[in-house]
Amino acid sequence: MLDLTQPQFVKHVIMHPFEGFEDLRWKKAGDMRIATFIVFLLFFQQLAYNRLYGFQYYSDYDKVFNIIPYISSSFGLFILYVVCNWAMCTLFDGEGSLRNIYIVTAYSLIPYIVGYLVGTFLSHVLVRDEAIFIDTIQIIGLAWTVVLFISAMKAVHQFTFFKTILLILLTLVAMVLCIFLLVLLLTLFQQVMIFVFTLYTEISYKFRV
Amino acid sequence: MSKIKRLIAGAGALLMMCTFSSAVSATESYDPYGYDRWGDAVSSQVGYSAEEFVDGKMIKGLYERISVMEGFDFDDDKWKSLLQLKEPSDIFVSHDEKLYIVDKGNNRIIITDFDFGLIDILDSFEVDGKATKLNAPQGVFVDQYTGSIYICDTDNDRVLKCDSEGVVDKVFTKPTSEIYSQDLTFKPEKVVVDKAGNVYVVVGSVTKGSVMYDINGEFLGFFGANRVEQTSEVIMNAFWNMIATQAQRDRSVRSTAVGFDNFDIDDMGFIYTVSESADVKTDMVKKVNPEGTNILATLGAEDVVFGDQPPAYWSIYTKNSSIVDIDIGPNGELNLLDFAHGRVFQYDEKANLMFVMGGIGNQLGTFQNAVAIETNDDLIYVVDSRKNGITVFKRTEFGEIVTEATNLYNSGHYDESYGPWTEVVKRDGNYRRAYIGIGNALLGQSRYKEAMKYFKIALSRKRYNRAFEGYRDEILQKWLTPVAVTLIILLIAGFVLKQLEKNGVIRMPWNRKRGA
Repeated sequence: MLDLTQPQFVKHVIMHPFEGFEDLRWKKAGDMRIATFIVFLLFFQQLAYNRLYGFQYYSDYDKVFNIIPYISSSFGLFILYVVCNWAMCTLFDGEGSLRNIYIVTAYSLIPYIVGYLVGTFLSHVLVRDEAIFIDTIQIIGLAWTVVLFISAMKAVHQFTFFKTILLILLTLVAMVLCIFLLVLLLTLFQQVMIFVFTLYTEISYKFRV
Repeated sequence: MSKIKRLIAGAGALLMMCTFSSAVSATESYDPYGYDRWGDAVSSQVGYSAEEFVDGKMIKGLYERISVMEGFDFDDDKWKSLLQLKEPSDIFVSHDEKLYIVDKGNNRIIITDFDFGLIDILDSFEVDGKATKLNAPQGVFVDQYTGSIYICDTDNDRVLKCDSEGVVDKVFTKPTSEIYSQDLTFKPEKVVVDKAGNVYVVVGSVTKGSVMYDINGEFLGFFGANRVEQTSEVIMNAFWNMIATQAQRDRSVRSTAVGFDNFDIDDMGFIYTVSESADVKTDMVKKVNPEGTNILATLGAEDVVFGDQPPAYWSIYTKNSSIVDIDIGPNGELNLLDFAHGRVFQYDEKANLMFVMGGIGNQLGTFQNAVAIETNDDLIYVVDSRKNGITVFKRTEFGEIVTEATNLYNSGHYDESYGPWTEVVKRDGNYRRAYIGIGNALLGQSRYKEAMKYFKIALSRKRYNRAFEGYRDEILQKWLTPVAVTLIILLIAGFVLKQLEKNGVIRMPWNRKRGA
């Protein structure tokens, strides 16, 4: 029963939105390497969507290119979500460990990534009148990911449906708080750095004269 | 050996530098520029170069005319100023090849030929047999059908219609109609006349448009008012007025549109208006049909920002463009004069920017107080009321090519415009319209792949899409049959092989192990 290899499990999970993640948990399956690979794919998808889209649909302001927004909107956001979700679930007696949350979150992102990558590919083949096909594929991918995502959170923490929704919302709030604290911290460090630098300058003047 | 090589390379570089610097046709006192697809300024070639600056001394025959007048005294300041232009405020090119210069400070109209040779000075007029003088005139217009001269005699509160001898035929004064609020002053600043002889006068205190008279001097009403800009304050006021009582409403601030400050009429009878206000962007430039509605939007120019594009970072030193005058060129070009930056912006008839020239300064080609603009075929005259003279710009070779290409392109001759546009790209790689022009010409010749390349450079997605559609059809026509045939053959082969394997005739290599 369900003697699947890790790659086969990925397929099983995606094709069975409602019991897939329960099976994953029951079998203690899931691979960190595959999950990390998916996050890399997410990064590439973000990049492709902005930089490699068909010219007839989209032209970015390409005089400057900065990779940081792409990193933070893929790796950064993903890790922030995983950590915040884990932090919240400990308050709610969720069962998921950091590793499990990492794996199921990554797995549930696959339809979204695939949908947008296919859309990006199609944007080089279709003209603007046919944009509806691209939109449809992307929306289906997104909707599928939402279903998988809720199911994944529900399974990994063994919550009821409403508790899962509540957890997700609270996780979002926690993420906002985290970002706020991060900004605060950065400003603080900046101040400290300026202070240290000023001190250094003062002392160096003292010795120079 | 390497030393010799280096020497040769150095000499070559020097030679190249020399040729490049001489390739620039004229050295202007300002940097010509245009805008790219993102609205960022990019350097451009010179489309018009400043030829000469004409002040009173340069007007041939003016000294001779004044110096023989009765009581002339060279040391008297009053006579001295008559030898010069003093605060000139307007210029007009008439159809019988004369220049009319409004010399506001000297209360006269100077008429010259195109070489600035004096023809006549209009300073005294005859109204019903009585002599009269001008008082700070600000505008002049010559009707091309009747030859009558219309002069805005601003500080005398009247517009004169006279012939070339100065005999006044009709005087337009403040309307007595109750539509025209009698509290308002009547200081006519600019005047135009349409084919039917209707007279339109811009009056500084009127915000409802221009004051319009019929051919007999009867007041008809106002023409071509601007709209009120939809700011948050205006919307808020509208909301409060909805719930306020009548008494409160009467006390509240009215939202009034900015009146336009200058206008011009083209040969088709369309009136173009400009508003000087630097803060209000609504109806900054309008093309008004006889009904009084702005039809620039129907030309696809509803979201064109005229004048200088807003810079990315605002500071207290940043000025908005303030368009004080407009003139319609021979090919329907819109020439706008920006008072704030002392620049002339030339747009084609579809409101695409062609050239920018001028600046604030003291050199030739820059201005202190630019007030009026007029075109004469390939010349542009700009009147500066502080420098007391007229700057003449002449179209350069580059400008000539761009104009030719633009005219061909706008009249739909894409194929013919291909040559000139390629020439434009050779001279100025930043000229975005040229890439679009070339792309459209290629598109017309069904050279889709090349058209795609040019539209991509021009960053025009819509046109790229059209070229891409053609290119895709081409590819499909070429490859669809072979690909489909191959696919079908492969499918049939696979099916046959599977059947054969099922019947035990052959065995596939990948099934051998399990089967064995």
